[in-house]
Amino acid sequence: MMDSGLLLEMTGISLTRGSKTLLDRISFSLAAGEKLIVLGEAGSGKDALLRVLGGFTDRSDAVSGTIRYAGSPPVAAGGRNKPSLRFAYLPNPLAQPLVPHASVAKQLTRVVARKLRAPFGSAREELRLALERLPGAVTLPLLDTKPERLDPVTIAIGLLASVSAQTPDLVLADQPFADLGPGAIKMLLEALHAEQQRLGFGLVYATGGLQPAARLGGRILVLKAGKVVEEGSAERLMSGQAHAYTRRLFEALPRLSNEPAKPRGAMRGQPLLQIHNLAFGNDERNHRDSLTFELRRGAALALVGEPGSGRRDLLRLMLGFDSAPPGRVLFDAVDLNVLSQTMAARIRRRIAFITGRDDTLDPRMTICDTVEEPLRAHLNLTGELVAGYRDAALKRVGLASHDGRLRVAALSAFDKRRLQVARAIVGAPLLVVVDEPLKGLDGFAQAILREVLIDFRTTQGTAFLVVTADLTIAQALAETAMVFDAGKLVERGSIAHLVHAPKQDATKALIDAATLTSLSSETGSV
Amino acid sequence: MSQPPSLLSNMMRIAGWIGLSVLLVAIFLSDFLAHAPAGAIMSGAELNPPSPAHPFGTDVLGRDILSETLHGLAQTGRHAIWAAAVAIVMGGLFGAVATRLPRPLALLLRGLFRVLSAIPALLLTVVLVGLFGHNFVALAAGLAAAPLGFIRAFDHVDLRAPHTEYARATGIPGLTLLKRDLTYDFRHILGSVIARALAAVTIILSTASFLGFGAQPPARDLGLIIAAAKASYLSAWWTAFFPGLALVFFVLCARLAAGLEEGERA
Repeated sequence: MMDSGLLLEMTGISLTRGSKTLLDRISFSLAAGEKLIVLGEAGSGKDALLRVLGGFTDRSDAVSGTIRYAGSPPVAAGGRNKPSLRFAYLPNPLAQPLVPHASVAKQLTRVVARKLRAPFGSAREELRLALERLPGAVTLPLLDTKPERLDPVTIAIGLLASVSAQTPDLVLADQPFADLGPGAIKMLLEALHAEQQRLGFGLVYATGGLQPAARLGGRILVLKAGKVVEEGSAERLMSGQAHAYTRRLFEALPRLSNEPAKPRGAMRGQPLLQIHNLAFGNDERNHRDSLTFELRRGAALALVGEPGSGRRDLLRLMLGFDSAPPGRVLFDAVDLNVLSQTMAARIRRRIAFITGRDDTLDPRMTICDTVEEPLRAHLNLTGELVAGYRDAALKRVGLASHDGRLRVAALSAFDKRRLQVARAIVGAPLLVVVDEPLKGLDGFAQAILREVLIDFRTTQGTAFLVVTADLTIAQALAETAMVFDAGKLVERGSIAHLVHAPKQDATKALIDAATLTSLSSETGSV
Repeated sequence: MSQPPSLLSNMMRIAGWIGLSVLLVAIFLSDFLAHAPAGAIMSGAELNPPSPAHPFGTDVLGRDILSETLHGLAQTGRHAIWAAAVAIVMGGLFGAVATRLPRPLALLLRGLFRVLSAIPALLLTVVLVGLFGHNFVALAAGLAAAPLGFIRAFDHVDLRAPHTEYARATGIPGLTLLKRDLTYDFRHILGSVIARALAAVTIILSTASFLGFGAQPPARDLGLIIAAAKASYLSAWWTAFFPGLALVFFVLCARLAAGLEEGERA
């Protein structure tokens, strides 16, 4: 017999696709109102586990094992039997779970109506009430538009409201807030936690990031290659008592340091990037800010702010992606906007980009060609030298064991990100623009990439311009920061000083988002 | 996103390339394989049906049709290879380069080639032959087939792709980016482009010759041989059938090698 209060019990769940085993004899149970964080890197099997739980496995999947839902006899996993529980699914808005041509409000209402078996009008009212309970001031009329016109955070709030309005017994959350910015993630996790406390639903939260695991608390199931490496409370796993694999993971969890910054010699270098009276801001023309600052050789500056705060607009203006702005931008004492394209290209070769976008590398190129291209385009080197520099760069980022003939399109997001670093390394740039480098990566890959970037900066002494919403990565890669909010520069200074004594609300919010506090410990354990 | 080719379409492509290879050998060994020199007349052997001595029969003047077909195939094939080369360089290659020109000029060129591609290629060939003479029929057919290739190549190159934008922002020169497109895109489709161009220009060349705007006697050309059989093919089917079969086989193999669907424009 299933214990009273247990919501579901999975026994010996295995899933194979072709010759690949995605899940290997997974067993666990979940009580009503309990939180289970399924933590694993890409390919660990967390997605497969959610598919089995939700009953949407592929036809080619071979599933074995049983699932027992509260009040029902055990059933074979992977079958099409409808459980007696009310399920709700919480996807990530960046995975585009909504159809593009219909209004968000209508789509969410339809889901609520179907789950509650209620008329459309009643479901809409339920959704409206759920939205009122959530933070973010998102209203139903605001959602009465197509998904493309809304920002991902607004859609995430809508999706969360839809889940709440369904009054589910069990919520399956598939990395629902990944890549939405630390502030938004914190706000959404708090909202999810509050709704879970209020409605008492069971929560299975699949994540590759460590922050949700650290914040939500509850029970954590660590998956690796389809197997459970460890299971236990968040407190235990985050302590030194955990399995070596888990311990290493949590040790790599970035934490904001409150220590004063050590002075760097490189800060005294010649000016590399000089910005004079650059008109910037998303207000009317006459309300634009005028920005003046400089970045010296070997120094690092972070442009910090939530997505949409204006930091990326500034970056595009500075680096000439957009049309020449009023004001002067000097790179290595040369105004890029007055040079011919050919001359500007010669200067630009000393700039490298490492971004969180995976489309910045040509998907048709091979690994070797991608790394070699800057060398071949700018320098007259022998094939032997080019191969030497290429291999050294690939070794430094951990891609040396990959087949160099592999196309970029065939690489994982993590490999693409490391390939960007290798391409930057061979170019021996004076300035590296690092734009949300950890976006879209699981916590495991983030920890490694963070190390690779720190190593790059330390060993080459290159100037870094870091664009991020995460103060921990800003602190790891830069000494000074400019904080942006709502299209304006609100605060600037050394990161150590900003963290120690923030003056503006936007800075405080960023620090708050980067500081890990368990929601369970704030409100009592669930 | 395009679907990966199925096993059947791959097999058809391979069959097409095998056929084209066989024809290429026949083209270059035509003088060796033919029983008689081009245009050689055997008196008393007029309109003989296919026999062991003349496997394809003889025509109204007593010429061995097998030999004539081989010589005609060689002439048509050589012209087609030249014309295809012109079409690829002036069409595909120029299209890929033209995207790099200043935007207004590039769009003007695209518009011009769009208009040219709307004119039937045969008509364009006839006009060009009229301007430059019969000796330039291969060049004319190649130029007439080029506009479509230009449009395809022009539209294929995406200069606003993020990877191109980022490469430019790090000072990668335009020539390197052009090399990327030529290396990675055209390398994979080059076989298909060649076969497509061969299919297009072979039809143009043969039809122009059939109508009297292409090769001129005493040169042998498949279109010309079929045209010469107009008076006799109702009573002596073999005079037009075998040269026609060679032409159909050539075009069919080229279309199969290019992976063209039924009714798709080459």
